[in-house]
Amino acid sequence: MSRFSLGFRTLLLKEIRRFWRVAGQTVMAPLVTTTLYFVIFGFTPGARGSELHGLPYARYIMPGLLMLGVATNAFANASSSFFMMKLQGTIVDLLVAPLSHAEVLTAFVLAAVVRGLVVGGCVWMVGSLFTGFEVAHPLWLLVFVVLVAAFFGAAGLVVAIWADKFEQLNLFPSFIVTPLTFLGGVFYSVARLPPLLQSVARVNPVLYMVEGARYALLGRSDIGPWSGLALVGGLTLAALALAWRWLSTGYKLRS
Amino acid sequence: MTDGMERPLLEIDQLRKSYGTFEALRDVSLQVRRGEIFALLGPNGAGKTTLIGVVAGLVRRNAGSVRVDGWDVERDYLTTRRLVGLVPQELNFDPFFNVEELLRFQAGYFGVALTPAALDELLAAVGLTDQRRRTTRALSGGMKRRLLIAKALVHRPALLFLDEPSAGVDVELRRDLWAYVRRLRDAGTTVVLTTHYIEEAEELADRVGVIDHGRLLLVEDKATLMQRMGRRQVAALLTTPIASLPPAAVEAGWTLERDGLRVVREAPSAEPVGPALRQLLSAGVDVHDLEVRPPRLEEVFRQLVAAGEGASR
Repeated sequence: MSRFSLGFRTLLLKEIRRFWRVAGQTVMAPLVTTTLYFVIFGFTPGARGSELHGLPYARYIMPGLLMLGVATNAFANASSSFFMMKLQGTIVDLLVAPLSHAEVLTAFVLAAVVRGLVVGGCVWMVGSLFTGFEVAHPLWLLVFVVLVAAFFGAAGLVVAIWADKFEQLNLFPSFIVTPLTFLGGVFYSVARLPPLLQSVARVNPVLYMVEGARYALLGRSDIGPWSGLALVGGLTLAALALAWRWLSTGYKLRS
Repeated sequence: MTDGMERPLLEIDQLRKSYGTFEALRDVSLQVRRGEIFALLGPNGAGKTTLIGVVAGLVRRNAGSVRVDGWDVERDYLTTRRLVGLVPQELNFDPFFNVEELLRFQAGYFGVALTPAALDELLAAVGLTDQRRRTTRALSGGMKRRLLIAKALVHRPALLFLDEPSAGVDVELRRDLWAYVRRLRDAGTTVVLTTHYIEEAEELADRVGVIDHGRLLLVEDKATLMQRMGRRQVAALLTTPIASLPPAAVEAGWTLERDGLRVVREAPSAEPVGPALRQLLSAGVDVHDLEVRPPRLEEVFRQLVAAGEGASR
């Protein structure tokens, strides 16, 4: 007998099948985008042969691209699924069901983690084809990928609960996640920035995620993995707590 | 918690719900008995959907208590939700999955592993057997309504809410639906239907409640209510046209219609027809045939709502 309720397992399975059913959009599309990044930044004239911290540039940017894929897809999974349920009225099916708030939260976040892992795994495979398959610290990589996916999954759920229209749903990825990601050391080393910009960059939480993945994949980073782990862990707990609070109080869900 | 069959399945006491300054439910108290079809009637915006939303877990109450089989709907929500099924008023659909998948998911949410036989039975009951592999996007409005009903029944709830079940439904489906609701009641399911379509309540309900402006104006056995407040119209069809009615017939309450061939009299249902009919015949009116129009719930409903509006002014 499973320790997890049938209701929880059903919701988790449904959420995983939902994104898998449109894998062309949810898995292949981010893979194509990432492949283009590798080709453009690693192998086009001008980029070819360049190095950073003694590593080929394509290899240097791989951890950041992996985290970008994990973060955006985990966020999109939870936010789009939950928001579509709100929009199409099928959220009623969940609200009347005997599922605890923790079960609903865990199912959506775990499904986001699964998609994050699938996309992250695919990005790693593609990137490795270009730059080699070595992973310096596999366990750290798994920890960072799961935590980052969990954080963005919970954040996606929070935004989906809060949003009343599509435009609001896209605010977070367009105006927060993408800028923070591109300024978070995906394509450059913060150690090479002027001191003032370095201080500014260190306020960006995405930097810690990218550097965590860089440590895990390449064995070197501008920021140690433990501070990244503490920050990402704290953010994940905060996002989970807020999502749980809103689910349990029925904020914007139960009138 | 269950004290036997006598305890009402649904007990609502002094329920209040406000949205800002708008009072959607004002001190509503109601008990729904096991195995009955209860119709909650009221105009649009009367508070019907809010009321069932509180029981089903979609709406949070401000005050009062709501119990299903003795369990509080907020404190013991994991228990009460297993007892309640809701067919919402608004059609919804999930374009990613087909009918069969959605029913399996919905059953799973309620902790029920749907067997193939149970699935077949449910699909047949709502007439969706041929649609089982179709995605919900491809279903017609009527089919989507059937799917909503199947989803609400998938965990065999003791208390089924049908919120405006006939909204946007064609005549054939409406008749099928009514027959199915009766079968559910006969099998022991308690059914609460909200409707502003009075014919539906007249056809189905054992008891009716009338709600308006968030206030429950009346709860009564339908037959008793019709007897007490309904008005019956009797029409006497004449053999040959007459120009006017004899005074004795007018005194008995009969009026002559313009064609001179029909004499009608409307009176409370509780009043026997015999005396007035005898007076008509004694007055020498040559009656060829009779037509009786039974009391209509719609008229009773209008009276109650009008009286309720008058009282709240």
